[in-house]
Amino acid sequence: MSLTSIAENPKPGSTIFSPELAARFDKLVTLYPRRRSALIPMLLYAQDEIGYVSDAAIAEIGQRLDITVLDVRNVLTYYSMLRTKPVGKYNVQVCTNISCMLRGGQEILAHCKDRLGIGHKETTPDGLFSLEEVECIGACSWAPAVQVNYDFHEELTPESMDALLDEYRSKASQ
Amino acid sequence: MADVTLTVDGKTITAPAGTLLLEACRKVGIEIPAFCYYPGLSLQAACRMCLVRIEKMPKLQTACTTQVTEGMIVATDTDEIHQARKAMLELVLANHPLDCPVCDAGGECELQDMTFKYGAGGSQFVEIKNHREEQQWSPVVFFDRPRCILCYRCVRVCNEGMDVAALGIQQRNSGSVIAPNDQTQLDCEQCGMCIDICPVGALTSDTYRYKTRPWEMTHVGTICTHCGDGCKTTLGVRRSDDGMQIVRGDNRDKSGLNGEFLCVKGRYAFDFANNEERLTQPLVRQPNGEFAPVTWEDAIKIVAQKFRVARDDRGGASIGVIGSTRNTNEEAYLLQKVARSAFGTNNIDHHRTTDYVALTRALAGKKHRMASIADAGSAPAIFVLGNDPTEQHPLLAWNLRTNVRHNSARIYLANHRDIKLQRQAKSSIQIPADGYAAFARFLGGEENSVFGEDAKALRDALRNEPSLLIVFGSELRGSAIDALAEFGLSLPDTKFACLGDYVNSRGAADMGLYPDLLPGYVPIEQEGGLRAEYGGRMSQQAGLDVAQMFEAAARNELAVLYVVGDDPAERLGVDADALRNTFVVVQDMFMTATAKLADVVLPTSNLYEKSGTVTNTFGDLQLVKKAADRAGVRSDLELIVRIADTMGEDVHALVPFGKGVRADMGQSRGVQSGEADRHGIWLAAHNLEPKLSPFDPNAVLDEIQRLVPGYNFDRMELLAGTSQHVDADGSGVMEISRFANRPDGAMPSADTLFTSGTLGHYSEKLNEVETFQAKKSMVAAD
Amino acid sequence: MSIVRDLAAVAKGMSVTFGEIFQPTEVENYPDGPGPFRGAKFEERYRGRHVLQRDENGLEKCVACFLCAAACPSNCIHIEAAENTAEQRISSAERYAKVYNIDYNRCIFCGYCVEACPTDAITHGHGFELSSLNTTSLVMRKEDLLAPMPDSPAKLESSTQ
Repeated sequence: MSLTSIAENPKPGSTIFSPELAARFDKLVTLYPRRRSALIPMLLYAQDEIGYVSDAAIAEIGQRLDITVLDVRNVLTYYSMLRTKPVGKYNVQVCTNISCMLRGGQEILAHCKDRLGIGHKETTPDGLFSLEEVECIGACSWAPAVQVNYDFHEELTPESMDALLDEYRSKASQ
Repeated sequence: MADVTLTVDGKTITAPAGTLLLEACRKVGIEIPAFCYYPGLSLQAACRMCLVRIEKMPKLQTACTTQVTEGMIVATDTDEIHQARKAMLELVLANHPLDCPVCDAGGECELQDMTFKYGAGGSQFVEIKNHREEQQWSPVVFFDRPRCILCYRCVRVCNEGMDVAALGIQQRNSGSVIAPNDQTQLDCEQCGMCIDICPVGALTSDTYRYKTRPWEMTHVGTICTHCGDGCKTTLGVRRSDDGMQIVRGDNRDKSGLNGEFLCVKGRYAFDFANNEERLTQPLVRQPNGEFAPVTWEDAIKIVAQKFRVARDDRGGASIGVIGSTRNTNEEAYLLQKVARSAFGTNNIDHHRTTDYVALTRALAGKKHRMASIADAGSAPAIFVLGNDPTEQHPLLAWNLRTNVRHNSARIYLANHRDIKLQRQAKSSIQIPADGYAAFARFLGGEENSVFGEDAKALRDALRNEPSLLIVFGSELRGSAIDALAEFGLSLPDTKFACLGDYVNSRGAADMGLYPDLLPGYVPIEQEGGLRAEYGGRMSQQAGLDVAQMFEAAARNELAVLYVVGDDPAERLGVDADALRNTFVVVQDMFMTATAKLADVVLPTSNLYEKSGTVTNTFGDLQLVKKAADRAGVRSDLELIVRIADTMGEDVHALVPFGKGVRADMGQSRGVQSGEADRHGIWLAAHNLEPKLSPFDPNAVLDEIQRLVPGYNFDRMELLAGTSQHVDADGSGVMEISRFANRPDGAMPSADTLFTSGTLGHYSEKLNEVETFQAKKSMVAAD
Repeated sequence: MSIVRDLAAVAKGMSVTFGEIFQPTEVENYPDGPGPFRGAKFEERYRGRHVLQRDENGLEKCVACFLCAAACPSNCIHIEAAENTAEQRISSAERYAKVYNIDYNRCIFCGYCVEACPTDAITHGHGFELSSLNTTSLVMRKEDLLAPMPDSPAKLESSTQ
């Protein structure tokens, strides 16, 4: 009988992360009274490095924290900002919460959908852009706001949105 | 803890400080509804059904997480609270399908009950309910997601109770879903606790789903036949074409010594009884070597005649009798009584899986040193030596885990392999597979270089335990048990238990299925007592054990071998040649290896199809009730009496009529297959009143209670379903070294969670689960 | 006074008798009439032999919930349930009645089963010719009680031609 409750897949000692991140994780797990408290920061850092939280990353994080893969997934699926699938190079997150909605967030979203030809949580075939409708990103004073990866862009109109997308597209081709 | 006084609905109640408000209310009969609260598991406060108004608190509070305090004033039955419950139910029902007519839980669903009591007839939701397809997670567990009300009971019982953690909760808010650990499948012990604990029909079991409804079944509380823990199981039975068929096994009423616990075998592996290979006609070997079915009368006549001729012509010592570890105490007792007093032989034995004799002898004269299985759930410290309780004694493992969780019990382990219980252990050491006897002596103070510092630390820790329970497996035998007992008895307060494999291994030992011991471990040489009862034909010579019987048969010294519910040929690898001159009679459910060598095969009923008592490996005596029934088979008790009767024995002497018998007026006999009618005819022919049936196990139990040392229990408590602890006094038992050293002295079955000796072989569901598990571990190994 | 009251009561009763004597006679032409009931006429709510209904797709409405058996005061309904499979779909829900027997030796035609049915599967039909010289033939199986399959569209087309 196999009760593989502790993730066993990765070989101990080997890591799928960069040496810097692995070192960071080694330190992170010592900072909390309970090891598993380091789970959410680890998932975020892993996502930043890989682009999403892969199955291998889940397995290794579970092993580092001495918890089951199921435990990691329980937390992972709770947070919509943690992804288990790859996204485009630029993840366009359009806020449609109250302030943005009042100032045209929905139009920005519709415009993006139209322009990029993709819907919510979808990626363009060239892998450049992903689109996501998100809840409040804390930029209400400058609504409507859009977050692309970790960069904020505020007080947008369909025209300035176009310019923004073009800017990213040219940035990618450099 | 000190008591506090509070007021609930104008009633003044008193409860110990720290009690949960919900528990305090339930104690005095004030019902507070709750889905997520489950006694013994961690608190969740997810369902919000238990909201109550507590004075001076701004909002309604959850009674399941609030501790009682002095002077608290609580209201549980106001319009405000009714409104709150109604609103909660409306939310719970928002996505819950109204498919009660097809749902398995319909009729015993907590959500149904609550909706009837507190809920609204209608709903304010106009949205269409989300529908998701049902998923099959394993051969036994199905999950119907829309029916789930997210009470988290299954997740908690799997994490905390079973320590398997195969279930988790994923996503959030209305998208929350219970998820299994291996993508869309369960990688777990398949115990089914999650199914029984589910308040609704979200988790359903493959053996029961869509078969019948709860009120259509007859529910019979009896004892599981699979391992030595003796869990009580409530079997749901339904009439079928040839008797009564078991449809479901569970213990939702939490009665018996196992509470709500059952393992995969107790819950699903009752289907061996429905196996189509089951024998339903007596078979007699014809001159051409083939079996042919005969009538019961003919079969019994042939057997009785052979037995009588063998006894009269060649003497009682030419008859060998092998008993069963899965029959009731009454059958085991009667079998050895018939063997000794009617056949005049002491060649009687059974499949020993552990050395009860050595432990009884080691504790001779000491009272209350044998532990009950309940002690495993309450002792402050437990030392488990050998065995793998998670696999072999699931209830013991459950009790130990619960004890650690609730009482912070200290568990010490010494084992030659890695066992799962190490996760709960305070300290755990590994010893060589052949080092158990040496380790027992090491504990007693004999230094040994094999055992290092960790072993010394363990020994010191055990020595400092003020109260200790020592549980050991069949790895220890004979003098090793003496050494362990000596060590244990040198500590201030120690109890012992030894782990045998089958449901009535302990009962078979207690009932004297030994060549040299009478019931209650009384030596055969001892005068008076049982010897006086059993009459003059009884021999004073110790008989042969199982292996010696086959050796005697090969030497042409055994005329008759009578095997009742055992399969020694399979276990010992006996070939047909060894038995060519022996007339072999086998009573069994299936065509086992031994039955294939037999001259007469008599089909019998199993433990679920008879009444009586069994004693679990801890010595807890429990009542077995007839649940299922199968046309064509007969109980071993009936067959033993019928054979003795046909031999010309006086059944009045054999079965104790009129010696303080409290007969059962026929309740223990089934009506479904004509059993009662059949018995009635036999009784009339013997000028007996119907109520004084020798087929009535209660009459035999009376004699057991009267004559067997240790079996002085409270009959009313036993009949009420409470387990009774029995504790034989082994003074007078001598060293039985010839068993301890023989390879068959004790042959552990090495059953796991998914095997159960012969029965497991014939249980389709158990085989299916085992295949599923094997596939899983193969994938994991890749 | 009591004599007067008694006579009045007798007169009232007899007035119904004499009133009916002069009505035109109605004779039902049973059993030589037309139709499945051979001329027998029923009130619409007459409770006769049960009919197990089918839905518009021809699937059985009965989902084997056992509520009729639970409601039955004479305990004459016997059901064995089984699960629908993808290959063989008998009813529209997960479960269907593999065996559905009504013992007309015991049935008292009270209609409680019809009341209890959550899917309107069991109904009282107008079948009344239930007498038999053999009691075993009065245990009716599902096949005896089921409504006929609705005609498929193709069959309807061919029959109109």
